[in-house]
This record gives sequence, structure tokens and C-alpha cells, in this order.
Amino acid sequence: MKINDMTVQKLPENTWSLCPVCLRKIRAERVHLGQKIILRKNCPEHGMYETTIWSGFQDMSEWIGTKEKPFEGVPPCPESCGLCGDHLRSTCCIIYNVTNRCNLNCSFCLAGDTIEHETSLEEICKSFFSFIEKGKTLLQLSGGEPTLRDDLPQIVQAAREAGARYVQLNSNGIRLGEDPAFVRSLAEAGLSFVFMQFDGTNDDIYNSIRGKKLLKIKQQAIENCAVCNIGVTLVPTLVRGINIGDIGNILRFAIAQSPKVRGVHFQPATYTGRIPSTPTASDRFTLDELIHEIQHQTEGTICADHLLPSACDHPLCGFHGDFIVNNNQIVSLLNRKNTNTASCCNDDASGKNREFVGRRWERPDPNKYESSCCSNNLSDMESFLKAARINGFTITAMAFQDAGNIDLARLRQCSLHVYDNGRTVPFCAYYLTAWKN
Amino acid sequence: MAEETTKLICCKCNKELEMIKTDFSYLGHTFFTELPRCPGCGNVYISEELVKSRISEVEMQLEDK
Repeated sequence: MKINDMTVQKLPENTWSLCPVCLRKIRAERVHLGQKIILRKNCPEHGMYETTIWSGFQDMSEWIGTKEKPFEGVPPCPESCGLCGDHLRSTCCIIYNVTNRCNLNCSFCLAGDTIEHETSLEEICKSFFSFIEKGKTLLQLSGGEPTLRDDLPQIVQAAREAGARYVQLNSNGIRLGEDPAFVRSLAEAGLSFVFMQFDGTNDDIYNSIRGKKLLKIKQQAIENCAVCNIGVTLVPTLVRGINIGDIGNILRFAIAQSPKVRGVHFQPATYTGRIPSTPTASDRFTLDELIHEIQHQTEGTICADHLLPSACDHPLCGFHGDFIVNNNQIVSLLNRKNTNTASCCNDDASGKNREFVGRRWERPDPNKYESSCCSNNLSDMESFLKAARINGFTITAMAFQDAGNIDLARLRQCSLHVYDNGRTVPFCAYYLTAWKN
Repeated sequence: MAEETTKLICCKCNKELEMIKTDFSYLGHTFFTELPRCPGCGNVYISEELVKSRISEVEMQLEDK
């Protein structure tokens, strides 16, 4: 990228990053370039690298607010990951990869191309007891594609027996759609909810990103989970040129599927693991652009003020919105104008975040609420409470980091951790891969 | 106000409270529910049980995480 120095203004914050080629720790700056903000860094060996981190649809300084702690000296990240004494967040969600086998071969895959390996059920059960905190842990079973393991229900059951508060499954949904008996056994084992890869509302999108038509099987997966009262949150990977224009359709589809679908969790494509190519500056799809597209493509039904910066992770890592679906209409519970966000980072941010997502993504016991009274008038306190329990809906996003845009100020605030052989590693440090020069 | 087994009496006005639809607001949202209110001074009685259960849940649902 060519820089016109006349347009460049330094932001107050400097930060630390890594060289995308050799992963050497280097200083980085966030600088204005016209409307955009870029991360600029210079490796003594591999030279200058810049990438867009903010598109200028909102004020980034206001978005971050006071939620970033300045560095004192050189940060120990990422070589000290698992968590070290300088890490700022405890674990909100912990990921456990039960397999690296997969039944897809996607153009984007965080797990990348690795040698097939599977930990035995016995070893998994043993390790669960070493890190699961009774009544607290939100465990995400991931992979690879976890449903390729026939003993997945036993793994879920073992996590419950070890005391996990929530057991979440990350899945592409293929087996969930094809095998309702398997879904039933997962529900009986105590599965709490599913994060299901869902990139769009037409098969051209799946052909482009996943290499095959998948829409129908994903719709069946939602139905099969619904029968077993397992909440499904849709997880689109957003790739410029492929599915950015489908954001509004994804939201409308999800809202129409409430309460079976509990929300949409957007993930702008990250360039780590297996990727089609390293990104150009224009490939980057930033959080503020995502918010802009949500507002634009829903014609303002969901607006920027409904979506708040992450209070648990770094504000540049994600946002969340909390809604109720009432008569196929979406009603926001949060508004940035009414919300005091200054206190969010204090005591137990990870715990608060865990309870928030658990409350929304898990479907309540139908015997407890479905038969109770009430109208659709959300001004009636009883109706509101019933709707909030049954028809809660979240719109969330997480922007993972790669060798190009990694920012150590963000990394040390990460609350999404991966369990690996006794270590607990921040997500983006765990999956980080260097780029070819 | 003093609570009796079957009725509530306003301790200021000595009048029996009546169940009346009452509005309350929190973080930009307004709700109504029926609460005992004094027909004289207009004060409402909110029981500890109601505060600890449904009103607390309304607050939790509306507050940011």
C-alpha cells in the first residue's frame, strides 16, 4: 500500500504486533489513512506491513473507550501463552478439539492441514477433570468436525459429569442434519447448544467457501436440533466478494427461525491456517463495516446503537447485541446511549460474558415456560419476561486475528481459550500461522 | 405501610391499597404491572419477593453483560 504522508495522523495509542512472515515481535502503530485506520509495522528483516483495522464508519477511539490497558514495557505475548501473569482475562469459553478429521475441505479453515489425530475418549475424560470448574465452565467441543466421532455423546456426558455448566458444539451441521438419532443422543447426554457454520442463504455461497451445496442440510440440522430443544446459533464466515451482501438475508432467515435459532455470530474471515491467499488491504472486512452493513441491509431495523463493543474481550475483537423476537419483529434490549459501559471491564468480565451467552444461546425447558400465559405486548412485565426467556436473540461478532493484523493489546485481553495438553492458550495465539514472504 | 394477612393499609393515610396498573422504567424501557397503590397519597407497595424475583430478572435482562 502506498501512503500519502499528508493524510496520516497518529492515534495516541501505539501497540505491539508480530511480523507476518517471521512472527518476530515488533512495535506497531494505529494510524489514520483518510477515513480508515491501519495497523502499520516494520520488521527489520521483512520490511513494512500495513493492514486495515477500521473502516471509519464509527469513531474507533470512542469504540475502544477506556477498555484498553496501556503496555508497560515489552509484552510477553505470545511466547508466554498459555496464560501468563500479564494476561488480563480469565477464561470465558474453553475450546477442546476432539478431532482434526473433517468432512469438508473449506477454502478457509483455522485448523489448517494437519495430520489426522484423535485423543481417546479415556484421555479426554481424564483431561476434563483437570480443567473443568464445576458449575462454571463453558466448554466448546470443536475440531475438525466433532460430529465425525461416534462417541461424541459420551464426550458430552463426560463434560457434564465433570461439572461443565454449558457444553457447546461447534459444527458444520452436516451430521446434525443427516442423523436425527445422533442429535437425540447428544441432547440426552446434556449438550447445551450448537454453533453451526452458516455462511449464507443460497448455495452459491456454500459452493464458493465450502466446496458444495449445504443450505438444505443446514436447514434440516436446525429442525433436528429444535425437536430436541437444542438451541442453534448461526455462524457465518464473512468473505468479501462472496457473502457480504447476504448479511441482511442471514439475519432475516435467523429471526424467522426464532426460537429454534438463538442468534447469529458473525466472523469476518481471518487469514490463518488454510487460506486461499494472503489478503490484500481491500480484502479486510472490519467490525465497523460489519455494523454498517447490518444497519444498511436490515434497513435500520437493527442499528449501530444496538450493537455494543465487547466488554470482556478487547473492543476490536467483537461486539454484541441483545434482542427479543416478537411476532417476527426484532426488539433491541440494549442501546449504547443508555448503557453504562465504563464499569464492564471490572470484576469477572469473563464470568458475566459466559452467563450472558449461556442464557441466550440455551433454549429454556419448554415445560417450564411454553404453556404460561401472556400476550405479545412487551410493555407488560410478565409478557416481557416470558419473551426474554423464550425468544431471546443475540447478534454477536468476533474478529479473529492473523499474522497480518495481530495486535498484542487485543491478544492479552482474550477470554476465548484453547485447551491443549494441560495448557490454556488464547485463541488467536493458538491458531496463529506465519505467512510466506 | 403495614402488611396484613389479607390486605395492605397505607401507614400514612390509613387507607387500603388497591391493585392498580403501574408503570416503571429502566434503561429506556417502560413496563407495567399491577401493584398495590394507596388511593390517597399514591405510594405503591413493592414486596421484597417481587423485587427479588421478577423485577430483579427484568433488570438482569436489560443490563449489559
